[in-house]
Amino acid sequence: MKQLVSAPALFVGAGIFLVVGVLLAFLYAPIDASTMGYSQKIFFYHAPIAETALVAFGISFVAAVLYLRSQDPKWDRLGLVCIRLGLLFSILVMATGMIWGKAAWGTWWDWEPRLTTFLLVCFLYVAYFVLRSVVEEEQRRATFAAVFAIIAFIDVPITFFATRFLPAGMHPVVITAGGTGMPGSMFVSFFLSMIGMTLLLVALIRRDLGVEELRDRVSDLKNSIGG
Amino acid sequence: MTIEEGAKFVAAAYAIILAVLVFYYFLSARRVNTLKRDVELLEQEVQRRQPGAGEAGGT
Repeated sequence: MKQLVSAPALFVGAGIFLVVGVLLAFLYAPIDASTMGYSQKIFFYHAPIAETALVAFGISFVAAVLYLRSQDPKWDRLGLVCIRLGLLFSILVMATGMIWGKAAWGTWWDWEPRLTTFLLVCFLYVAYFVLRSVVEEEQRRATFAAVFAIIAFIDVPITFFATRFLPAGMHPVVITAGGTGMPGSMFVSFFLSMIGMTLLLVALIRRDLGVEELRDRVSDLKNSIGG
Repeated sequence: MTIEEGAKFVAAAYAIILAVLVFYYFLSARRVNTLKRDVELLEQEVQRRQPGAGEAGGT
């Protein structure tokens, strides 16, 4: 209850990295010379948010495996929090991606591999919350949710590698084995935003874990009064 | 696409990100405060109902 609820230093750190990253993106990084032009500036938050969403889903996968091994509710809480935040970041990725798509490609949406698999990820994790809401008994709910989180995670690496293995799509590949293909000034802005988003994710995970712990405490106290 | 045209899309994207993140931050902060208050009230209620604690518990 005490130490998990607030993580002010992490929020401040995240804020500093994100502000510096975006300032450099607008003031230091050059305007993209390709067809994307100025709209490419969306990339400096869009890509870090996307990577952070996938990291959150990755943590939820590990938490699900650990829950099934130990049946410890703390792993269920971690999985729940990470999927909620992963979904929040995914919605931002979809929204900013659609705006960027309209600006760069002239269309809000295209059924190409990266976009389609990412949409599928979103639907799968929405289904995770539907599943949690229909199972009442706590332990069963946590077990079903963990199994579902493991199955849903299968689509995450498919999304990540979609643009690499299926290059027919419009979505560009940013990070390859050969590097990022970005000039240094762009990479610095991208890298700082990446650190900022990761710190923000960690701060939000810590805060939301605190929320879940408080919620469990309220539920326990209500039960003890009721009994 | 000119810089002016591109800037509209860029501004819209960053505005959405900022609005959603700030909204979520304050929403979770509010949830923390509400739950903390609930815990406090419930703990007081549990203490009040403890046998031997106060007049009500003694009867």
